Formats: sequence, structure tokens, C-alpha cells
Amino acid sequence: MATLAQQIVNGLVLGALIGLIALGYTMVYGIVQLINFAHGEVFMVGAFGAHFISLYVLPEGVPWYAALPVMFLAAVAVSVVVAMAMERLAYRPLRGAHTLAPLITALGVSILLQEVVRVFYPGATAPLPFPRAFPDGSLAVGPVTVLWTGVLALTVAPLLGAAVHLYVERSRLGRAMRATAQDADAARLMGIDTDRVTLATFVIGGVLAGVGAVLYGIHYTQIDTAIGFQNGIFAFTAAVLGGIGSIRGAMLGALCLGLVKSLAGQYAWGGAQYDYVWVFALLILVLMFRPQGFLGRPERVRA
Amino acid sequence: MTLIAERVSMRFGGLVALEDVSLAVPGTGIVGLIGPNGAGKTTLFNCLTGLSAPTSGRITLGGRPLPADPAEAMRGGVARTFQNIRLFGEMSVLDNVLVGRHSRIRQSLLGALVRSPGFRRSETEAAERARAELAFVGLDPDVRRPAGSLSYGDQRRVEIARALAGDPAVLMLDEPTAGMNGAETAAIGTLIRGIRDRGIAVVVIEHDTKFIFSLCDHVHVLVRGRMLVEGPPTSVRDDPRVIEAYLGTAEC
Amino acid sequence: MTLDDAKVLVDAPGGRHANPARHRPDLLAWAGAALVLVGALLPWAAFVLPGGAYPDRATLQFFDAPHLVSGFRLHLVLLGLAGLAGRARRPAGIGVVVIAVVHLAFLIGLGAPSAGGPVALVGGVLLVWRRPAVPALSLPLPGRVLAWPALLAAFAGLLWLVSATLTAGGQSRATNPHGGAEFLAFCGFAFALVGVLSAYGVLTWLAALTQRHRIFAFTVMLACALLLPVTGAGTGYWMTVASTIGVYAATAIGLNIVVGLAGLLDLGYVAFLGIGAFTAANLAHSVPFPVAALAGAAVAGFFGVVVGAPTLRVRGDYLAIVTLAFGEIFFRAAQNDIGGLTGGVNAIPGIPPITLFGQAFNQPVGALPGGFLYYGLAVLLVAAAMVVLVNLKHSRTGRAWEAIREDEDVARAMGVRTGRAKILAFLVGATMAGLAGAVFAHKLGTVGYESFDFSESVTLLAAVILGGMGTVPGAVVGASLLFVLPEKLREFSDYRLMLFGLALILIMRFRPRGLVSSS
Repeated sequence: MATLAQQIVNGLVLGALIGLIALGYTMVYGIVQLINFAHGEVFMVGAFGAHFISLYVLPEGVPWYAALPVMFLAAVAVSVVVAMAMERLAYRPLRGAHTLAPLITALGVSILLQEVVRVFYPGATAPLPFPRAFPDGSLAVGPVTVLWTGVLALTVAPLLGAAVHLYVERSRLGRAMRATAQDADAARLMGIDTDRVTLATFVIGGVLAGVGAVLYGIHYTQIDTAIGFQNGIFAFTAAVLGGIGSIRGAMLGALCLGLVKSLAGQYAWGGAQYDYVWVFALLILVLMFRPQGFLGRPERVRA
Repeated sequence: MTLIAERVSMRFGGLVALEDVSLAVPGTGIVGLIGPNGAGKTTLFNCLTGLSAPTSGRITLGGRPLPADPAEAMRGGVARTFQNIRLFGEMSVLDNVLVGRHSRIRQSLLGALVRSPGFRRSETEAAERARAELAFVGLDPDVRRPAGSLSYGDQRRVEIARALAGDPAVLMLDEPTAGMNGAETAAIGTLIRGIRDRGIAVVVIEHDTKFIFSLCDHVHVLVRGRMLVEGPPTSVRDDPRVIEAYLGTAEC
Repeated sequence: MTLDDAKVLVDAPGGRHANPARHRPDLLAWAGAALVLVGALLPWAAFVLPGGAYPDRATLQFFDAPHLVSGFRLHLVLLGLAGLAGRARRPAGIGVVVIAVVHLAFLIGLGAPSAGGPVALVGGVLLVWRRPAVPALSLPLPGRVLAWPALLAAFAGLLWLVSATLTAGGQSRATNPHGGAEFLAFCGFAFALVGVLSAYGVLTWLAALTQRHRIFAFTVMLACALLLPVTGAGTGYWMTVASTIGVYAATAIGLNIVVGLAGLLDLGYVAFLGIGAFTAANLAHSVPFPVAALAGAAVAGFFGVVVGAPTLRVRGDYLAIVTLAFGEIFFRAAQNDIGGLTGGVNAIPGIPPITLFGQAFNQPVGALPGGFLYYGLAVLLVAAAMVVLVNLKHSRTGRAWEAIREDEDVARAMGVRTGRAKILAFLVGATMAGLAGAVFAHKLGTVGYESFDFSESVTLLAAVILGGMGTVPGAVVGASLLFVLPEKLREFSDYRLMLFGLALILIMRFRPRGLVSSS
């Protein structure tokens, strides 16, 4: 029983972190119908941005409550800049190109970013320890223990998710986003600058990924260049699971995915070595049998 | 073979797109289907080409139910063109027409791999037939250009040749004169009559009523999902209900 | 050069009157050509460097490289002369720039640059800048009497080019410290050569000839490929490299069926190569090679159908993700030694070499180098894959695939049973990869899961895209480039994947139909 409860909590923490990346996937897909394969790398470079600031810029002995905000800022800044650059330089020129081009480009961007960090970031050829910028220790609730970093992730992620949801529902730009997602041509005719909307979507995705990256780093205590790809796939799965294009769905899907991975690793055949396999199997099944996910609308077939 | 729709209804959620529509396409002749925008023409067209299954009612081709699958409908003998031309743009004109012939070509994978005599015979036959169809619609059969590079009017003709290559019993044309000028429209009219003369039944959807009345042997008028009037062009043209339906929509 | 996508030549020669250089000599361009010629004669290194392309500072020694015709000074002279003609100016100029930049970079690295490099570079830039806007010439197609010798000559030239490119710069840094520079510089020359031929319409002409005399061309090409061992590239080392390329090229052709023809993006394709390899590896000690190879192909084909099955319900981008997921499942399963079949982290070692009629394939035959038999097998494999691709492409099945790629809904409306056709594409592609995998296992002697990770799938995909989707020579050219470059440029091995990523982005942006495609 205790194991089960513990695994559920572990799954939820992972899910909360994945959810922050999944939001970026789902929003970009909603606006431009692009699976931004490289979104995981936005998350990855954010983690390295925070690592850089903490290791090379901040003086030693800075207390964690001073260091953490700086790391968040650095991660968000790096992620946002990279997300904007990829939209402007790689994707925007491809609007209206043939169908496989954007996805292949996204693949190229993903590899390029991973490799640039791996080759040029000092020590990035191996996993790097992430600075401990949050109190150690954990919260114990009965037999279940949650690291304080996990508690932080479980608090921040849903709040951010709710904030994005509110922003998209209430703000002027959010309304423009929803209009563009519905029908980009019509939105353009109504005077909405869809290029700006798209860029803004990438920026929001970058902010969330940057925040997620720091939370991930302090919780799992090490980062490497593969975290973007791996968690990106998880996040994509989560976004599809929840219904791609749906903001609440992405959070929901991410929590489910976290639970599946952690529970399958504990109880399913093959144990922890095969937990990835179960996530991928889940992805395949969802895409095949409920591609619209939990909360998405079914896609209409063109005549 | 006659294509018959019996009391076909189509609902999308609460929206009724078609209600109790019946229509018979005889073995030969040109049938016109007109109606104002939003009358349900396209929905009916999709049912008749197997793209969607009606919510109720049945569609038969030569007495057998029409499968609700475009590929099987084409194999059964219902071929179509598209309102906004949809050719395989990067394939050659001839290859486009050969794809239309797909279901009538008998080839085994192994035969294709070793280019067996049987395979080569079937390729030659198919290519000859495709060229003949291109010539029939008035195009140069030896054009090797990608279909997407042709002029708009020629692309329409390729679409018709592609549909004809599949030996259809019924040819469904979705607004074949959309975006064409008077002379081009007249030429398409001549082409459609030529198709009828080959013994193929033709169904034409249009909202250009003048073209339909001059071309068709039989005209159906669809208004708000219901079959309002049907009959020979002369009687339909003068029917007060039709005039009212068209004027009514013209006002708003 | 495309074997099968040759457009019929347009009759109007067009270029005759549109060439301003004919009326008014372009002095700047001529100056550029002259600078290139002068640059070729000037010293390039400030002091004597041991070995490699700069054996001394002598100015008139053209044939100074280890290989007679691949010395860069001779290339510069040829390109400078070509730069005098209008049409050739741009490709020749690009070649000069590449050669000059590469040599300058290395010489600056060594602290020994001299006048030759900068002078040639300026000349090259002038040539590129002063290019006239002239359409490619179109040449009339000759009858068989002329066509056959022309094709023979063309493929012999290709053989020479391949051999020279392979051997340019030697086989490792140990034997030649400037190997990378020589190789890159030679690539610049080869590119310029191809570009000049293309500017004069020779490539289109050859493609049309190849198309018309398909069987003859194919035979000659096969013969030329099998003759590679008797050229300068005929050493055990190059045979091994070339046969590895062959295996990957055959796999890439299989992927080209799935991605290029049917338009189904497969991001986990290397799994099929792995399945074939592991199947053959497990059977290697119990059955003869042909049986193991067929088993590998069959098992891979079976999994091809399994992976292809979702295509019935999933389309486009989502399908790509499904294939990626399958690829990752295979990789994780192989990593964990699923069912004891893959050896996990220990790999499967000790796979015996292929032995047919008492001859082990890794041993030399007569005067031919060791690995020659593997090379021959790889050539046959590639040839077979090409035949499959070409023959299927020009059949009912291939047209159905292309129709699905262009517009799946319309393909259905035209009577194509798209579900079957798509699964068939996966079946054929996976079978080819499985067969290649069997050869792969025997050739390497050991198979481990690391050979089949995501980056290998990306490399194969890059090979297909680089060469041009749906074209036959495309996959071969692409695979050759992608697997030769890392071999030749070991000093850049860290940047390999980075450059792939960049190449994918740039090609999609500027040449979405690939480098080989003529259109």
C-alpha cells in the first residue's frame, strides 16, 4: 500500500513537470497545426541556462532563495529566445510548404539544439549535476514522503497551467489565439496579426518550458542533453492523451502519463527498465483509438 | 446500372442536412442537381460517392447497396471529380489518369518486380487507355509535365479523364465549370454530352442554373435539404417554387 | 542526375540570345578567371610542410598530391579555364571558393598561409559574382550508336569520380595529417565538375539517355560499381567502408519507398535493419547465410506490417510519432536483451562471416582485396533495391503510393484501397531493411543495440531527403554522402549530428526536393 501511494506521488510530480512542457506542445499545435518536435529542446536549453547562471555567474554562497529566482529568470530567458528564434528562422519560412517539411525541420532543429549544447557547453557530454537551489529534505505524510522540490513542482505547475488557461480565455491576445486556432485565414481577415499570435504562442511555451526546466533540475538533481528529447516525447504523448489543442487536457494527460510511467515501472512486466516502453505503447494506442484524446474535438474528415 | 438514393437523410448532431431525399440516376443521360448554397448538394454528393453513409435511407447501384467507402464505390462504378480541383500535382498527367485506372488494372507485385510479360502487357494496355482518355477530353496524350503545372481548364479536363479511366457507370461532376468563362463552359458542356454518348450516366452539381438547364436531360432541385422539384429542364425552369427558392435566397 | 525523373527536354535552346557575355565581354569575370589561374601557380604555404598537399613551396608542380589527378593546383587551373566560359562560371567559382577556403582554413590553422590562397579566393568570388543568367543548354538525344558509348563513358567517369573521392586525402589522419583538407577540397572540385556538366545540360541529357536505355545503363552502372576494387580504392579498408555504405544505401532505398513514394514519414525505420540483423545473428550458427538472410527479411517484413497497421487509422504527423514510438520500443527492448535475443549491453559477438562455396567473405580472393566479396554483395544488394524501387514505382502499386502521398482522400476516391497500399509500403520497405540487416550482422561480426538508435533513423531519413525523396539515385547519393563524410572527416566527428540537423533545416528551406533532383 505504502509503495503504491509513494509511486502515485512520484508519478504526479513527474506528470506536473511534463505538463508544463505539454502545454507548449498543445498550444503550438492548436495555433499552427505543427508538432513542434523541438519543443523538448526548449526545455533542455532552459535547464542549461539555469545551470550556467548558477555555476558561472552567481557568486558562491548565495542563499537558495536568492539563487532560485535568478535561475528561473535565466531559464525562461534562454528558453524564450530559443523558442522565438526557431519560430522565426525555421518554421515561419515554411508556411504552406509540403506536408512533411515542417516536421522534418522540427526534427532538424531538435538535433541541432541537442548537439550544439552537447558539443559547446562545458562538460555537457556527460550528465551534469544540477545546483541544489531548494531546501533538501522532504514532507512526510504517513508512509509517503515527497521531496520539497516535488511539493514545489506540484504547486507551481498547476498554478501556471491555470494561469495560462485564464490568460487564453480572458485576455485580448488569448482571444486572438483562440480565433487563430479556429480558423487562421478568417482571423487574418478580421485584422488579427497571426504571425504575432504564433510568435506569442511560442513565447508562452518557452516561459512554461523554462520554469519546468528549473523545477525538473532541482527535483531530479541532474540534467543532460537528452532530457529534452525524452521528456518532449512524454509531453507530446501527454498532449495527445489530453486532446491536443486543449490546455486543461494537456495538464490532465501529463498527470495520467506520470502515473502510468511510475506505476508500470513498479508493477508491470519488465519493471523499471521497461517503463518507457509502456509510455510509448500508451502513445500508440491513444493515437490509434482516440486521437482526439480526452478533451479534444474529433478531427473532421475533409471531403 | 442505375444509381438510386431512397429516402436518404443526413443529420450532423442536431443539424438536418438532408431529409428524405430520393433521386434516381438512370443508366444513361445527364442528371443535374441544383440548389442554392447550403441546400445540401455536397452532402448528397458525398453520400452518392460513398464518402459518407447516410443517417437513414439507402443508396443502391445496379440493385446492390453502395458501399460507404469511396474506394469501393469507385470500384463499383461511381467515379467523381472535385469542386476545387484535386489532382496529384507532382505526378505526370498520364500517371494521374493511370491512378484513375487503378482498380481495373490486374498486376501482381511479383510480376511488377520482375517486369513479367503479363505485367508489361497490362502496363501497355493501361497506358493506351489512359492516353485515349486524355485525347477524349481534348488534351495532348504525350504531355509529360507534372499535372500541377497545367492551366486551370486543362486540370479540370485531366480530372475528368482520370475519372473516366476507371470505367465508371456513373460519373459525378462537382461544379465542373466553376471559375470558367463562357467559352470554356460551353466546351465542357460539349465534353459532358460526349461522355453521355459513350453510355455513361453523368450527374452534374452546379449552382449555375443556366448551364444545367441547357445541358441536362433531367434536373433535381434541392432546397434546405429537401428535394423541391424534379423533372425535365423546361418544366423545372418554369416551376414557381424554383423561382421563389432562388429569388428567396437572392434577397438575403 | 536522376534515373527516372528525367523531364522531357524542352526544345527551345533559349540561351543563345540571352547571353550578354556573348556581346559584351565581362572583364571582371575574366579577371576572376585570371586570378584563379595565377593563384594556382603561386605558393600556398609560407614554409615547407611535410607530406600532404604541400610537399614544398614550388609553384609549378601541379601533380603534387599522392594521387595524380586529384592535386588541387590542377583543379584550380581547370576551374579557372572553365571560368572563362559563361555557363560554367558559377559552379566553377563555387568550386574555387570551396577549395580556397578549405586550404586557407587549414593553412591558417598551421600558421602557414601564403599568397596563393587569397588570390584564388578573390578570383573565385569574382566568378560567382559575375555569373551570367543563362538557362541550361538542352542537347538533342542521339541514337543508340552514340548513346551507348556516351553512357559507358559517363559511368566510367562516375567510377573514377567515386574512386577519387573515396581515396582523396588518404584513409586516416595517421597517414596524412592534411587528409581532411584534401578530401574537402576534392569535394569542392567534384561539386564544381558536376555543376559545370549540369550547366551545360549534360546531366539532364544523360538522365534522359539513362531513362531511354534503362537496361543498358543499369548493366553498365552495375559493372562499373563492381570494378571499383580494381581502382585506387581497391584496398581492404575502402572495401569495408564501401560495403558499409552499400548496406546503408540499400536500407535508405527501402526507406525511400515508405517516405519518398508513399509519403509516410517513418522515424523508427532503423529498427527494421536491427530486426534483420538480430534475426540473422541468432540464426548465424545454425543455418547457412541465405536462409538467415531470408529469415531476417521475413521477420522484419512481419514487423513492418505491425508498424504499418496503425496507418489504417493514423495519418500524417501522428503516424510519424507512432513510428518513432515503435522505434523507441524496439531500442529499449533490444537494450534490455528482450527474450535473450539481442544480447543487451553485451551485444551478440562472434557472428561468423558469410561463407558460400567454401569461400569466407572476409578473405581476399586471388589478387582482389579482402572484403571484396562483401563489397560485391553490397553492390548487388543496392542494385536489387534499386530494381525494386524503380519497377514498383512504374507499376500500379507505385502509382497508388504516389497518389496517397499527394492526396490520400482523392486516392481513395479513385479506387485505391489505401490501407492495403500503405501497409504494403511498410512491408516492402521493412523487408529490404531486414535483408540489409542480415548482411550488416555478418559483415560486422557483432551486433549490438547501439547501432539502431534514433540518430541512425534520422541519418537514414537525412540520406533520403538529401538525395531527393522518391528518386532512385537520390538515396544512394545521400547514403554515400552521409556515411562517407564521417569516415573522411573524423576530426569533425563531434559535429556530425549537428551538421545533419542543420542540413535537414536548410534543405527543407531551400531545396525541399533534395540535392539530386533536377527540378
